[in-house]
Amino acid sequence: MKTFPTLFAVFIFSSVLACSAALATAKIHPVTGEALAEDQTFIYRELDEFPSFDPQLIESVSEAAVVRDLFEGLFNQTPEGTLTPAMALRWETNDTKNVYTFYLRQNAKWSNGDPVTAHDFVYAWQRLVDPKLASPYSSYMELMSVKNASDIIKGNKPPSTLGVKAIDDFTFQAELSDSLPYFPTMLTHASTMPVPTKVVEKLGDQWTKPGNMVGNGAYVLTQHVINERLVRVRNPFYWNNENTIIDKVITLIINDDNQAFQRYQANEVDKTDVPTGQYKRQKKQRPDETFSNPRLCSYYYAYNMSKAPYNDIRVRKALSYTIDRDIITKNILAAGQIPAYTFTPGSTANFQVPDVDSAKMDQKQRIAKAKELMAEAGYGPDNPLKPTILYNTSEGHKKIAIAISQMWKQSLGVLATLENQEWKTYVNNRQQGNFEIARASWCGDYNEASTFLDVLRSDSDQNHSHYANSTIDRLLSEAKTMSDPNPNYSRIEEIIAEEAAIAPIYHYTNVIMLKPYVKGWPHQNVENRWYSKNIYITAH
Amino acid sequence: MLNFIIRRLLIAIPTILIIILLSFLLMHSAPGGPFSAERSLPAEVLANIEHKYGMDKPVIEQMARYLWGILTEFDFGPSFKYKNQSVNDLIASGFPVTLTYGIWSFIFASLIGVTLGVIAALKHNTWLDYLATGGAIIGSVLPNFVMAPLLVLLFSVYLNWLPGGGWEGGKIQFVILPVIALATSYLAGIARITRSSMLEVLNSNFIRTAKAKGLPNHYIILHHALKPAMLPVLTSLGLSFVGMITGSVIIDQYFSTGGIGQHFVNAALNRDYSVIMGVTILVGSLTILFNLLVEVLYAWIDPRIRY
Repeated sequence: MKTFPTLFAVFIFSSVLACSAALATAKIHPVTGEALAEDQTFIYRELDEFPSFDPQLIESVSEAAVVRDLFEGLFNQTPEGTLTPAMALRWETNDTKNVYTFYLRQNAKWSNGDPVTAHDFVYAWQRLVDPKLASPYSSYMELMSVKNASDIIKGNKPPSTLGVKAIDDFTFQAELSDSLPYFPTMLTHASTMPVPTKVVEKLGDQWTKPGNMVGNGAYVLTQHVINERLVRVRNPFYWNNENTIIDKVITLIINDDNQAFQRYQANEVDKTDVPTGQYKRQKKQRPDETFSNPRLCSYYYAYNMSKAPYNDIRVRKALSYTIDRDIITKNILAAGQIPAYTFTPGSTANFQVPDVDSAKMDQKQRIAKAKELMAEAGYGPDNPLKPTILYNTSEGHKKIAIAISQMWKQSLGVLATLENQEWKTYVNNRQQGNFEIARASWCGDYNEASTFLDVLRSDSDQNHSHYANSTIDRLLSEAKTMSDPNPNYSRIEEIIAEEAAIAPIYHYTNVIMLKPYVKGWPHQNVENRWYSKNIYITAH
Repeated sequence: MLNFIIRRLLIAIPTILIIILLSFLLMHSAPGGPFSAERSLPAEVLANIEHKYGMDKPVIEQMARYLWGILTEFDFGPSFKYKNQSVNDLIASGFPVTLTYGIWSFIFASLIGVTLGVIAALKHNTWLDYLATGGAIIGSVLPNFVMAPLLVLLFSVYLNWLPGGGWEGGKIQFVILPVIALATSYLAGIARITRSSMLEVLNSNFIRTAKAKGLPNHYIILHHALKPAMLPVLTSLGLSFVGMITGSVIIDQYFSTGGIGQHFVNAALNRDYSVIMGVTILVGSLTILFNLLVEVLYAWIDPRIRY
């Protein structure tokens, strides 16, 4: 009988040992104290292969997410969307707000150990506008009003004349052609990130290949299999490496939403998009994993105002009023989208959504008003309006177009024809003005209302509606230099609503599935600026 | 024979040139271009980009430059969509993948398909025939895009035996589902052709003679019936083989294998001119090559055929 207590004691002792060993190795989050998973690998799904990882050549949101891991600009965004110092520790501007000086972090290094200097920023910004690189985002530097940017893009001046300079190795200065109070908020955009001058010069267009690529971000690119996966691991030279938790980030390219969702269910990916029409069900079944987060994107119908009768405010307004946004967002899309009565989403920083008439009325009142306007414009049962709705081939756009055409038919007797076209054909026809009413969408480049409202400037490249209003043009020019431009933006939205310049339909949401053990995701960031370095995986 | 092969290879040159010319012109006549996007580029930015890719030159000159690049350096140009990748990079990365699952699918489909077809023909109008024919019909009415999700649902989500997609350099567990999904659709066709061709041969005079001579059944089938019955099967196998090794859009998109199959659709939608040309030339050349190979095999199988 003596052996039993002995065995028991041995058992207790060894269990205690094992537990303490486990405690010693288990990782704990330094701030929240949560137990962390041993394997800090984050796997997420992207729809399409990345066209590029070159900060100055990328165009899409998905590329920007990768570039934000591999490079770091002057500022990063907090989850709430405000600026937080990244390469720039502090900055100052002059009274007229047309010269900005940034004091750089001196301990920042490239992933090959070289220091990150102001010269790298000068090189990157000049590169963005250089006609030789031919960046599709070169005009972003024009939006930023950097001196001489337009002339350089047109080939009238050499890139070296761009209004940027390195005062010393760690002081970077930008000179603008106009004063621009919101200039710093534009600097979290990937196209303004620095690139390693020596590496780019030496390797040319091969510099973004894994093994060649040198960055200053929290991660380095280690593997890229086209159309399959992208792997990035921690950059030991990153200035804040000791506070980074995720060790490895894997992007899987999965073209099909449902397939991606199946792989999420099989625990092969930690984050994916909710397939169309599945949001409600998933929110019920997996409430902790299903999210619908506001985005800086608007869905609207554009009128071609160079064609009659779409140059008639009454017709435009009647058509816009008759669209029941609640039916579209609640019954058709049903994934938390927000009904839109203005072009700029209400989630845009500092933007005050004006009380436009259409938002105040209920649908019955809107339809009554629309009937009046339509009759005034000379359309009725004997003389119905017969517009064509152009949209690019997609189940979602089709459903919305069918619903809207039915709303128009029932309330106004309008007989719309639906025309769907393959993406590039649609884009081409819209840009060349071969449409009457077209489905359109716009996403903000930066968190400020002008990124939307500029589209309706009479001389904008994006204004395919041929809409022109000199008051809007003036208010937009004024806004550029105002310390608080938001009253102007609200006024512009009022004019847009009065003249029914567009028919806003809804504001997009990001509808995602995220495993419950992935923490630190910035759900409230309307620009969806997430950084792998800020997330972590808890023990599960 | 050698003469024949050389002659056929020489004819292949103008054929490929016509393929190149037609796809180049068709591509350029499609509305929009590689750089058109919802957010239209300012005119001067677009001009810079078009200049970079030589698209500001006349179409004839673009075409000539393109051909010259292929002939002198075997360079199929840069991709218009994937900015730091050339067409050669894209094919070098995707073709080995497609080749792997294509060859496995081919082996799987032809072995099982031919076996099923032969069994069905030998046991004509018995339950074995009905089972094999029925199976083949089910295989052909269940297209890839239905088969693939069903396989993933069963083996990945419910049973958790195999990964639902990805490639990881071609590890065996990643290859199995794409191979099953791709092979089943071809398998059915191969089984049906084998069955009907085998039935026809079994009913012909020389088989009756062989039977009359008292030869054992298995000897007749292996030595006399199988070879002539394989002629139409071979034609279909040759084309199936090219189809399988150049990949399938559905397989690539559904299993995210990274093969070249998806470029056919994506490059066309993106107006990625050089990639479309690259994959079209690849498939065109392989089709010509394997048709030639099939014809050479004909002569080997059927001594009556001489070129």
